[in-house]
Amino acid sequence: MAAAPKLITCVLLPRFELVVAAGGRTELLGVPAAIAPEPGSQQVGAVSATAEAFGVSAGMRLGEALARCQRLTLIPPDPAGVEERWEQMLIALESIGAAVEPLRPGLACFDARGLLRLHAGTAGRGQATGRGLGLAGSALADQEIEAVLTAARRALGAPVRFGVAPTRFAALAAATGARARQPLLLTGDARQAREFLAPMPVELLRDVAGDGELAALPEALERLGIGTLGELAALPRAAVADRFGRSGLHAQKLALGGDLPLRPREAGEVVRETLELPESSSGQQLERALELLIDRLLARRERRGRTLRAVVLSAVLVERGGTWRQRMSFRESLSDPLRMRLALTPRLQLLPAPAQTLGLAVERFGPPTSDQQALLEEPARARAARLREAVRQVRAGAGPDAALRVLQIDPRSRFPERRSVLTPFER
Amino acid sequence: MTGARRLAVPRQTRVATDADGQPCAVDGQAVDGIRETWLLEDRWWTEQPLRRRYWEVVTTSGRDQVVFHDLIAGDWWCQR
Repeated sequence: MAAAPKLITCVLLPRFELVVAAGGRTELLGVPAAIAPEPGSQQVGAVSATAEAFGVSAGMRLGEALARCQRLTLIPPDPAGVEERWEQMLIALESIGAAVEPLRPGLACFDARGLLRLHAGTAGRGQATGRGLGLAGSALADQEIEAVLTAARRALGAPVRFGVAPTRFAALAAATGARARQPLLLTGDARQAREFLAPMPVELLRDVAGDGELAALPEALERLGIGTLGELAALPRAAVADRFGRSGLHAQKLALGGDLPLRPREAGEVVRETLELPESSSGQQLERALELLIDRLLARRERRGRTLRAVVLSAVLVERGGTWRQRMSFRESLSDPLRMRLALTPRLQLLPAPAQTLGLAVERFGPPTSDQQALLEEPARARAARLREAVRQVRAGAGPDAALRVLQIDPRSRFPERRSVLTPFER
Repeated sequence: MTGARRLAVPRQTRVATDADGQPCAVDGQAVDGIRETWLLEDRWWTEQPLRRRYWEVVTTSGRDQVVFHDLIAGDWWCQR
C-alpha cells in the first residue's frame, strides 16, 4: 500500500521583517517604505506594497530605489527584533505539536499529517474555509486540515497565509496565492503538485532560494524565454544540466513536483540576558558590559551545568539606529568565561554605532561541563621518571607500538596528513 | 617497530550538501554552523593534482569537524 502523501504546510507572514521593524508605527506600512540597507550594504530590505507599486523591490540598490520613489521612507533594520519575534512565532507553532523547519523569517513549513488526529477532534469539524485543489477529494480530510490550520492561526495570533501541498515548494507556491483567511489546500500527490505549479512563474524559485544559487536562475530562465515552471519542467534533463548545472537540476525537480525532505529544527530553550547601558557605549565600556553578561548567563539556573555551544550577541543602537546581531558558534563547547570573552570581544568591533542595550542569548547548549583538574602536579623530574616507568610497563604488556610520540616532519604543509607522523616515545 | 604512521590521514565520510554545495550533515549529524571554508590546490603541475575545498563545521552534537570535498574525484573526506 502506497504511503499517504505528505501534507506540507507552509506558513507565510507577508513582509514580516518590515512589520517588525516598523514596530507600532503601522501607518508606515501604508506609505512607500523600505528597510534601510544594513551597515556595509547598499541594498534595501523588505518593502511595503505601496513601494512595490512604484517599482521598488527588496534587494534593490538604495540609489535606484530613491530614484524610482522619491517619497520612499527608510526604516532602520531591526535584525535582533526580527529574530526574537520569529523565535516566538516558531515556539508558538511548536506548541501545537508541529515539527517546524524555518526557511527564513516569516516563512516556515511543517508536516500537518501527524497533527490531524490531534486537532481534528478539538478545533473543529466546522465549515471548511479553504480552497481545495485536487484531493483525495474528501471534504472530511479538508476539514481535518482546517482544524490544524485553525490551531496554528490561533497560536500565531497574527495575519498569516497558509498553503498545503505534498512538497515544500508547492506549499510555498500555494501560500503565496492564498488569502489571509482562506488557505489554499493541494492535498493530492506529486503529479497534482506538478499540474498546480505548471502555470506559475519561474520567479517563484527566488522565494524558496533566499541567497542561494537558485536566486540567480529566474532571470536567466526568463532571458531564454522560459517564463513558467511548466516550461522548465518540460525541458530535457540533460539540457538543463548542461546549461545550469546542479542548481538547474534542483529547480527542475522542484518544478516537477519533487523536493528535498523537510528538515525540522530541534526545539530549543531561550536563555537570554540583556543589559541597559546608562550612556550610549562603545569600546572598553562595552567589553565590561559583555563580561557582565557572560557572568550572568553562566549563572542562570536554566543552564544546569551545561556548556554553551552557540550564542547570539545583539545590541540596540542609539538614536533609533535599529539593532545589530551576530551569531557565534564556539570551536568547542565552553563554560569558561575567560575563553568566551576572548572569542566574543572581537565581535564588538563590528558594531556599526554605539549601543544603548547589549544582549547575549544562548542559541544552543553543549554537554554538561566538568572540572578540568591538572593531571600531574609533581616536580618535572619525578614526573619524567614516572612517565618512563609507565612507558616501559606499557611496552612490556602491549608491544613496542604501544607508546608513540608525535614527530612533526613538515609542520608548515597546507595538507594536514603531511605534517606529522607517530614515532616511538623516548624520554 | 612498523613504519612511521601518519597522523590526520583523511577518512572517507558521508556528507549531505544543500543546493549551494555547503555541507548540511556530516555522518548523519546535522551541521549547526560553518566556521570557515578554504580551497587548497597542489601538485597542479603533475598528473595527479590535488584540489580540495575544506569546510570547518560544528555539528549539532557539538563536534568541531574539518571535512573536505575532493574536487577532482568528487568524494567527501573527514580530516578531524
